[in-house]
Amino acid sequence: MRTPVLKTPPPRPAIQESDKFERLYRDHVDLIYRYAYRLCGEAESAKDLVQETFLNAYQGLKDFRGDARVSTWLYTIASRACIRMRRKRKGEPEHELSMDDFVPTSEGEFRLQIPMEGLSPEEALQNKELRQALDQAIEKLPPKYRMALVLRDMEGLSAKEVGTIMGLNERAVKSRLHRARLFVRRELSASGITHHDDQKPGGLGS
Amino acid sequence: MTKKKTPAQKNRSTPSSHDHLHGQGRCEDLLRQLSSYIDDELPSDICAEIRRHVGACPNCEVFVASLQQTVTLCRHHPAPPLTPVDRINMRRAILDAANAR
Repeated sequence: MRTPVLKTPPPRPAIQESDKFERLYRDHVDLIYRYAYRLCGEAESAKDLVQETFLNAYQGLKDFRGDARVSTWLYTIASRACIRMRRKRKGEPEHELSMDDFVPTSEGEFRLQIPMEGLSPEEALQNKELRQALDQAIEKLPPKYRMALVLRDMEGLSAKEVGTIMGLNERAVKSRLHRARLFVRRELSASGITHHDDQKPGGLGS
Repeated sequence: MTKKKTPAQKNRSTPSSHDHLHGQGRCEDLLRQLSSYIDDELPSDICAEIRRHVGACPNCEVFVASLQQTVTLCRHHPAPPLTPVDRINMRRAILDAANAR
């Protein structure tokens, strides 16, 4: 009588990991690229950051237990990778933004305005000057403040999620976010942007 | 700057270059809470107090509006999309790097 031959099972775990990665990449690469672009401010660095993020995710996929949302997990990996890459590239020291720096010292400073009166945000952002001023203001933010602003106000995450990603409590997130907003507001309102022809007539103040 | 400071506010304020010209202590207090106000995270009595102050203080009214506009612009600022070619190339580069490690 012949002993039944036991078939060797196919190397399913490896295939599953690879499938998981394909799905992860397909479903989240656009999200992470957008985040990376907003952090880096330009395409090449953003692509480097995306690759580093997904490479780390690929290697950590087997350990991901699903305690957090996949997107939160990827945002966290991307944020850490961004800090590492920045340190390696520039050795740029973080500096703190003090609340005192944002308290207007004159009436004029208090009353600086952003030229979008009567315009929807989409219409206002058609003003190239305003768009560039916003980009530059965000780029000038010290990295940890930029990250809080990008995650909360651009990616639309809750303060709690931002805290999970940045390893901070909610109070610290809100403090960083507030300073980042005040910084961008001051940069925008002091940038002297004026009316452009591609906008509604009379829609912009000087 | 249109309101007088309460004794408590006077005690809280320390003399600085910002504690000045316009009797600005109240405005400074407000400025510190503005993001929480914009994000609707403050108790209703504090919100009502802020609204009252802003209604009586043109400088703070402009300041609140400009901070709100800043947040609105950030929320609507688009990022350029990833091109299909970059999507494919990056995937390949990631898998090559993963296999090489």
